[in-house]
Amino acid sequence: MDWSVIVLLVTFVVLLVLNVPISIGIGIATFAAMLFTIDFGPAAVTVAQRMAGGINSFALLAIPFFVLSGLLMGRGGIAHRLIEFAKVLIGMLPGGLAFVNIISCTLFGAISGSAVAATSAIGGFMIPTMEKEGYDKNFTAAVTVASSTTGLLIPPSNILIVYSLASGGVSIAALFIAGYLPGILVALSLMAVCAVYAKKHGYPVGKVPTAKELAKKSLDAIPSLFLIVLVIGGIVGGFFTATEASVIAVLYSLLLSVFVYKEVKLPELPEIFVKAVETTAIVMLLIATSTAMSWMLSYENIPQNISATLMGLSDNPFIILLTINLVLLLVGIFMDMTPAVLIFTPIFLPVAMELGMSPLHFGIMMVLNLCIGLCTPPVGAVLFVGCGIAKTSIAKLIKPLMPMYAAMVVVLMLVAYVPAISEFLPTFFGLYEK
Amino acid sequence: MKQLTATIEKILGAFLGLLMAIMVLDVTWQVATRFVLQEPSSYTEELARFLLVWIGLLGAAYAYRKKAHLGLDILSQQLEGKAKRKLDIFISLVCTLFACVIMIYGGAKLMLLTLDLEQMSAALQVKVGYLYSVIPLSGVLIVLFSVDRILYGDPEPDHVEFYE
Repeated sequence: MDWSVIVLLVTFVVLLVLNVPISIGIGIATFAAMLFTIDFGPAAVTVAQRMAGGINSFALLAIPFFVLSGLLMGRGGIAHRLIEFAKVLIGMLPGGLAFVNIISCTLFGAISGSAVAATSAIGGFMIPTMEKEGYDKNFTAAVTVASSTTGLLIPPSNILIVYSLASGGVSIAALFIAGYLPGILVALSLMAVCAVYAKKHGYPVGKVPTAKELAKKSLDAIPSLFLIVLVIGGIVGGFFTATEASVIAVLYSLLLSVFVYKEVKLPELPEIFVKAVETTAIVMLLIATSTAMSWMLSYENIPQNISATLMGLSDNPFIILLTINLVLLLVGIFMDMTPAVLIFTPIFLPVAMELGMSPLHFGIMMVLNLCIGLCTPPVGAVLFVGCGIAKTSIAKLIKPLMPMYAAMVVVLMLVAYVPAISEFLPTFFGLYEK
Repeated sequence: MKQLTATIEKILGAFLGLLMAIMVLDVTWQVATRFVLQEPSSYTEELARFLLVWIGLLGAAYAYRKKAHLGLDILSQQLEGKAKRKLDIFISLVCTLFACVIMIYGGAKLMLLTLDLEQMSAALQVKVGYLYSVIPLSGVLIVLFSVDRILYGDPEPDHVEFYE
C-alpha cells in the first residue's frame, strides 16, 4: 500500500476513535494524505473547493426539504392516526399489536424519513399499550427498533439520495421505487418472527373492527398517507423531480400539520426550521468532506487497487459479495449510516460492478445492510432511542432482537443475491434500464 | 467571550432559519413557474444551490456550536472528569486546526482566487467568490466556538431528530 493510503486510514481511525466529528476527521485525513503528492497551499484550496462543489447540487436540495417535511409531519400528530389505522387493518390477527407496531413504524418511518423519529413517536404510544396487553416490554421495544429502520428503504428516503450522489448519479426516482420490495420484505420477515413469538406466549388477539370503525380510522389516516402518494406518485408519474417533490412535501406537511391537524403552532415554525438546518448541515458537511475524500481516492487510484485486492482474494463472486456484506455489517455496528455510505460507496461500488452488480442493486443492498447496524450496539441511534422510550437497558433488548437480526440478515442475503428484488419495480415503471 | 458567542449563536440560528425559509420559497417559485408559466426560471435553480452551500457550511458551524455533529463516542463515554475534559479540549483543537487550515486558509485563498479571476455565476451573474466566502466565514465561527469550549467547557451534545 502507498504511504498516502496508510496516512489516510490511520489519521481517520485515530480521529474517529477519539470522537472527533466524523466529517472533520474525513477532511483532515484527506488533507494529510494529499500532502504526499500535492503542496500544502494547493491541497488546502483543493479540499475547500471540493467541499463547496460537493454540496453545490440541485439534487441534494431534496435532503433539507424532506428533513423539514419529516419534522413537520412527525410533530404534526400523525403517529396515533397511523396506529389507529393499522389497528383496524390487522389488529385482529394473532399477535396483532406487534403487527400494528411494525406497520405503523414502517409507515411513520417512510413519511418522516427517520427511523429515530419513528421509534420515539410510535414506540411512545405502542410500547406502553402493548405492555398493558401483556406483551413483554423488551420484546416490544425490540420490534419497534427493528421495524423503524424499514422506513429508510421505503421512500422518500434521504439516505438513498445520499447514495445517489455517492454512486455518481444513480437515478433517485429509480432508487426510491427500488426500496419498496426490500423494505416490505423486511417488515414481513419481522412479522413472521412476531407471529411465532406471539403464538408461543399466547398473546391476545384484537377485536375485529366494524365497517364504520374501519371507514373512520382509514379516513383519519388518509391525509398523512397521501403525502407518500403525492411525492412518489409525482416522481414515478414523471410530473416532478425528487427535489420538486420534496418542496411540495414541505408545503403539504405545513398545510396538514399547521392548518388541518393543527398540532404545530405557527410560532413553533422558526424553531422547526432551525432544527431542519442543523440536521441538514450535519449531512452537508459529511457530504462536503467525503467529496474531497473520494476525489483524493480516485486521484490516487485507490478504489482500483482495493478492487484488485478483493478480486484477488477469491474468484468466486459469491464469496466476494459475502465478504463485502460482512465488512459492511461490521462497519454498520460502529458507524452511522450516512458516513458509512459516503465512505464505502466509492470503495466497494467498483468491486460490485466488476461482479456484474448494477449500482442500483448495490445501493439498496448497502442501505439494507447498514439498517441492521442501526439496531446494534455500541453505535445504533435507533436502538438507544428505543431503550430510552421503553426505559430498559440495551443488554435486555439484545435477546429479543436476536431473531430479528436473523430475519433481517436473511432478507439481506435475498436482496444481495437476487437482483430482481431491487430491480423489478424500477424496471417495470420504466425508471431504470440495466 | 461567553456573551459574544451566545449572541453569535442566536443571530446565526435566526439567519439560517431565514435562509431555509427563502430556499423553500425559492424552489416553490421554481416549481410554480414550471407548471403554471411553462418556463422554469433559471435564476431560482442557481439561487437554491447557492443557498444550500451557505446553509450547509454556515450551518456546519451552528451544528458545531450545538455539538450535534456525528461522532463515535464509545471511548469518550468511558471517561469522566479531568480525562474527559482533556479529550474535549483535544477535539476542539483538532476542529480548530481543520477550520484554520482548510476553511480559513484554503477557503479564503479559493475566494480571493475566484474574485481575482472575476469568475461569474452563469444565471445570477454574481461573483463566485461571494459564494465561496462562506467557507472562511464558517471557519472563523468554528474557531470562535472552539475557543469558547476550551475556556468554558463543552455543551451537552445535541441529538437532533436525525433522519436516520
